[in-house]
Order: sequence, then structure tokens, then C-alpha cells
Amino acid sequence: MIALLRTEFTKAARRTRTLIIALALCGLPTLIVVAIKSRGTSDRGGDHGDGLFRLASQSGLLVPAAVLSVMSGFLLIVIAGTFVGDSVAGDASWGNLRYLLMRPITRGRLLVAKATIAAVLIWAATILVALAGLVAGVTLFGAHSVTIPSIGVGGLGSFTLSEGALVTRALVGTAYVAFGFNALLGMGMLFSTLTDTPTGAIGATIGVYIVSEILDGISQLGQIRYAFPTHYLGAWESMFTENTFSRDMVAGVLVQLAYLVVFGAAAIIWFRRKDIRS
Amino acid sequence: MVDTPIISIEGLSKNFGAVTAVDDVSFEVTRGEVYGLLGPNGAGKTTILRMLMGLERPSAGTARLFGEIVTPSCAQLVRVGAMVEQAAFVPHLSGMRNLQLWWEAAGTRLRDADLDGALAIAGLDDAIHRKVRTYSQGMKQRLGFARLLLGRPELLVLDEPTNGLDPGEIREIRELIARLTAAGATVLLSSHHLSEVEQTCSHVLVINHGRLVADGTVTDLVGRAGGVYIEVDDRERARRVLSALPGVTDVRDQGDGLVVDLHTGRRADLAAALVGEGIALDTLMPTQQLEDAFLDLLAEGSAPMAATTTSAVPS
Repeated sequence: MIALLRTEFTKAARRTRTLIIALALCGLPTLIVVAIKSRGTSDRGGDHGDGLFRLASQSGLLVPAAVLSVMSGFLLIVIAGTFVGDSVAGDASWGNLRYLLMRPITRGRLLVAKATIAAVLIWAATILVALAGLVAGVTLFGAHSVTIPSIGVGGLGSFTLSEGALVTRALVGTAYVAFGFNALLGMGMLFSTLTDTPTGAIGATIGVYIVSEILDGISQLGQIRYAFPTHYLGAWESMFTENTFSRDMVAGVLVQLAYLVVFGAAAIIWFRRKDIRS
Repeated sequence: MVDTPIISIEGLSKNFGAVTAVDDVSFEVTRGEVYGLLGPNGAGKTTILRMLMGLERPSAGTARLFGEIVTPSCAQLVRVGAMVEQAAFVPHLSGMRNLQLWWEAAGTRLRDADLDGALAIAGLDDAIHRKVRTYSQGMKQRLGFARLLLGRPELLVLDEPTNGLDPGEIREIRELIARLTAAGATVLLSSHHLSEVEQTCSHVLVINHGRLVADGTVTDLVGRAGGVYIEVDDRERARRVLSALPGVTDVRDQGDGLVVDLHTGRRADLAAALVGEGIALDTLMPTQQLEDAFLDLLAEGSAPMAATTTSAVPS
């Protein structure tokens, strides 16, 4: 299995596309931080993302959360969808998949290896965003504790997060954002085995998450939204905005695991039975 | 002890919905022989090879490699070097990296692959370190041969190995196959190029509309078409001698020689009879080539192709 993982990692890591994505993931947080710096601290905040942005200029230790909040809504979904959707369909489109499967490599093992490498790349991308934000943020704003305004039962108030708390919560937030792509991983692996066209698999994978986000915004859908893969994606931000580890984070983890298990199993069952014609 | 066939196909069928791509095909490939799987485009050759390599599941029947039933990714595949359709690689990696990763992916050690031997056969020199996306189709095919030779497989499965190549590259590939077969490899080669099969194979399996319509040696198959053209120093004596031979149904003049219709028996028997009677034999050749036999077989099977023949005999 280790040899197979090494093979798949080499194939993915040596693509020019992977290098470009890595550069973009380093550059964009840096640009965002520069933009925050140039805007100053006088702008009004809006939703949590904007709120985190507004507060980010108080401490570079808050910047990872701010950039993750912005980039996990779309850009990281696109990047994760690209890694996952391309994993099997990419090999199929090159014609290389049949040559891999003409060796004594079981299909289930190959799929698990490809999913593992896609997950590694997703985690690497998420960590890279957070790290780039941290470096740029600390460089421009320094590393300080932050006092965050809040609305409680007794009215307006505030709480302070120390440097250590900010780092810990940034770590947890980064892990939660990366973990939030597990549903995408499961669905993307299935889509990637269903077609030999990488763009189709990538598009379907990203599309499901985007549609889920749109539907999640329609409150009339009621409790059904709780089962959407994107419903709990932003739950981690409450660590910074409300000083709580929300129970929604636990629900989010469970929803992600459920999607991964169901769609991952479907992908393996389908792939094991599939006629390889590409 | 009976030698287990390298390949054993029994009642193999494959349906795609209402379409039957392969219909109850059975044959065996024995060790050290070179089999040609011959048929027009769409006859089912590639589907048979895909099932043999575990890429597709048969609708009915079984395919065995070295006596073991083929299942997806079965252990016997490590003894097979295969090129199904065109050689394909990871385009952004070098030829060398492609070979290394492909071999190591199954957990096999590179030092067991005889990489140097495979590279020598591929003959790509420094290009082996270039990205595959810069290769010509001929270079990819040669790299494909290097890949299928990794680990010195006992069986080579080649699907249209000269497709898309220019004449020079086709010649190189044929010479390569000849060297491999001379070294004792068992080969199953699919092709719709009759000359390729005729020049390369000892046995021929003819597939048409998914069915096996002939199975035998090239000589057997050409013999089905039945005629022999001869030129001798004394035509009248030769006519009498040949007419008396068992299996000869007709002897007639054609050009400067005679055409002998042979129902049974071997061409070598004709030559022996003539020489035995002191008749000098200038020329002896089949009136028809494999192409004629092949087209006759397709016509017998109500194939859509016209059953035209190309005679090798002077008119």
C-alpha cells in the first residue's frame, strides 16, 4: 500500500497544476492581509467573515481564521474538487488506468490510495492557506491577544482571546475546515469512477457543494438543511466570534463522516464492478 | 505430465445491453507459440483481451491465465506483459519515471524488473528522461513495449501494436516482436493487419461478429483456400503425377504453370511427389494468401465485407 501511495502522490505532486495551486494558496492570503492593512481598521464589519477580517488587523494570529473563512466558501471547494474529481478520471482520460489495473493491484486498494492522496492534498492546501495567512498576518500586524465584541443575554460585551487561545483555535479551525471536505471527498471519488472525463467529475463534485450552499441559504427548507454537506462548514467560526466550541461542530463532523462512508463505499462497490474501457 | 495452457478461454461471452460483442468464444494458447487474433474492426478482439486481462467481466464463460480463472487484478497478471489498445502513460512524468512508478505500484521491487533490458529494447536513449507528453506515437509504443517487458513476463498480450505508426516504426515493432518470440516468449497478438499476423504468428484465431470462426496454424488457414501454383520443367508429366495423388481434386493450366486444387494433404507432399518422379520444380506457392483465406472466412460468416480475393498467382 505504501508503494501505491508513493506512486499516486508522485503523480499528483509533480503536476504543474499542483504547483500553481500551491503558489496561489500562498499568494492569496498574503494579498488579503495586505488589503486589510491598506484598508485600516475603520471599515465597518458585516457577517462573521467580514467581522473576522475587521478584527484581523488587531493580531496576525487571527488572520489564519479570517483567510480560511473567506477561502473555504469557494476557492478551497474548487481546489478540493479538482484534486478529488481528477483522481480516477484523470488516469482514465490518459488511458493509464487500464495499465494500472492490468497489474495485481486490487481496485479497492487503488481507490483508497487515490482518496488518501486527494485528502492529503486537501489538508495540505488548507494548512497552506492558514500558514500563509499566519506568516503574512504576524509580519504585518504582530502577534497579540485580541478583544472581541460579542452580543450576549446581558447585552453587548466582549471577551479576550490570548495568543495561545488564538493559535489553538486557529489549529482547530484549520483542521475543521479541512475535515469539512470529507463529504466532497466521498462524493468526488464516486463521480470520478463514474466518468472518464476529469472535467465532468470535477464539475459535478464542485457543483454539488455549490448547490448545497445555495440550498442551505433557503431557510424555508427547514431541518432538511441539517443534512446538507455544507450546512455546518462555518460552525468553527463561533470559536472566534462567540467564544464557544459550538455543538454544531460535532454535528458537522458526523455529517461529514456519514457522507464519506456512504459515498466512499458506493465508489468502491461501483469501481470494483466497473468495466474498464478507457 | 500435460502442460497447462498459458491461456484458456472457455465459452467466453460479453454483452453490452442488447449488443453481443463476444459470443461463446473458446480457444487455448500453448507455451512458446505466437497466436494471432485476427478480425475486422469491431469484431470483438479487444473485448476478449480486456476480459483476459481482468479489465472487463465476462457475461458468460471464463478466461484462465496459467490455469487460474482471471478476476480483476488477479495474481497471475504479474506474469503477463500487456499492451491493450495504444500505449498510454502519465503525460507529465518522464518515460523513466512512468516505468518505475508503474512497476513499483504493485509493491514489486525495481531491481526485479530488468529495467535496463527493457530500456535497451525500447531504444529511447536520452529521451527516456523527457516528459511523455513530448513523445511521438512511435516513441510511446516503444516505451509501451519497455513497460510490458518489465519483469520478463512469460506471456505477452499485444493489441494492435502497430496502430498509428509509420512504416518505419511498424517495421521496428515487428522486428522487436520477432526477437521476443525467438527468445521463447508466448504471444497473443490481436490485429486486423493480415500481413502482420502472417509474418509474425504461427497460429491464427479468426474472430468475426464476436464469434471464433477459425482456429489453426497459418498454413492450415491458407490451406483452407486450397490452391497451389507450381512451375515445372515438364507440365504434362507433372499433371499426370499430381492428378494421381490423394487429396488433389483438380489440376489445370495457368500462365506458365499449373494450379493444383488441394482438398486434403500438404503442399510439401506435392513437392515430394514431383521431385520423386524426377520433375524439376521451379516454383511452388499457395494460390492464395492469408488475406484470401481470411476474407473467405468472413464471407462464410455473412460478414458485411465483400469476399474479394487477391491472388498471388500470375495470371
